[in-house]
Amino acid sequence: MSEKPVRIPYYPGCTMKTKALGFERSAMDCAEVIGFEMDELKDWNCCGASYPLTKDNLMGLTAPTNILVEAERRCQKEEVDPNLITLCVFCYNTLKRTEYAFGQDKKKLETVNAFLDRKYEGSIRVIHYLEYLRDVIGFDNLAKMVKTDMSKYKVAPYYGCLLLKPKKEIGLDDPEDPVIMHDFLDALGCKVIDFPAQVDCCGSYLVMREPKKVSKLSYDILADANEYGAETLVTACPLCQSNLDQSQGDKVQFADLDGMPVLYFTQLLAVAFGLDTKTHQLEEHHIDPRPLFEANGSDSESK
Amino acid sequence: MLINPVEKDQKRIRELELATGETISDCYQCGKCTAGCPASMDMPPSVIIQYLKLGQFDIAKNAESIWSCMACLTCSERCPKNVSPAAIIEGLKNLHLRDMDPRVNLEAMDRDFLAHSPQMAIISGFRKFI
Repeated sequence: MSEKPVRIPYYPGCTMKTKALGFERSAMDCAEVIGFEMDELKDWNCCGASYPLTKDNLMGLTAPTNILVEAERRCQKEEVDPNLITLCVFCYNTLKRTEYAFGQDKKKLETVNAFLDRKYEGSIRVIHYLEYLRDVIGFDNLAKMVKTDMSKYKVAPYYGCLLLKPKKEIGLDDPEDPVIMHDFLDALGCKVIDFPAQVDCCGSYLVMREPKKVSKLSYDILADANEYGAETLVTACPLCQSNLDQSQGDKVQFADLDGMPVLYFTQLLAVAFGLDTKTHQLEEHHIDPRPLFEANGSDSESK
Repeated sequence: MLINPVEKDQKRIRELELATGETISDCYQCGKCTAGCPASMDMPPSVIIQYLKLGQFDIAKNAESIWSCMACLTCSERCPKNVSPAAIIEGLKNLHLRDMDPRVNLEAMDRDFLAHSPQMAIISGFRKFI
């Protein structure tokens, strides 16, 4: 490609630099193929991971505001569209809801600005990688870039909660009956397994207090996907990935279920593009997804 | 059980409404929140809210089930009256946490958990339990 790739300011978040490195690396490799570049913010902090649900908790908005200020300055300096792309669903949810809160209530923005002694003008639009693929690249264009025959993979799209809820503030898709990940998998040419538990909660941060309950919730989701014929599950959330994947180590709860690999959607995209997945940390997953790809001989096989 | 509304609790309930931005009296007990709740709570969201509506603040505040909420927001999304049970539950949790009454003992935390969990789980856990 002779055209210079589009550069989009990118906020990774803590997990993307540690436990979900494979998610970030696969997303970046795929972006290169598609023709855009995720340009990491120079100075960023943790977003706080969970958006405060009570309206009086302005302290919870300070961390995401710091990030939005960084992004705003970057966009103004480089004269690019005021977008901020994210991968982690918790970061996406927290930043997006902060964007929404400030859009609704300028007074809130003024209070947080005054406290931080910074000046966020409220221009940044937070987008998710998946949203960028759908709305800017287009899934039909994405389909044209696929190199591998993916039709043999039976993949269940798992959405979880925070990618979609609350609908009024996130607005990415219908939280009860979403299609964005279905359409993404369709574009890749996978056999899409629609299953009822696709929007059920995996237990989230409750893993810190009640891991047994998280095992049970994860089991219910995976057993449901299995019953509908899925071989693997894709998600966009590192905590869903961790809960669903690591819970399978609970041999008592998972006694009657064979291991099911849980992939990030970008890891599957990289396979569809026929990319080298060596750095995508597939080996770090509790249930190793590599046998699935090897058994199907996907490597560099052309369409 | 005989329920008598407690007069002094009315003030605390109004404070909770101010803090959370929710109007508790809007709830008409349809039970959609409880039907959708994945947390298998002993005292589910609609019951917690009903206690608040009846002026029984302490029963709601001290319900052990509030600590099982995972903020999946299914209840808030499905409420036909635009009440967010998840926000009310977080408001109740905050009353404990702001009184320095944490629900996870960091000292006794499983090292293995800390080593293997994604940062976002630990940070969210800090926010919700400590």
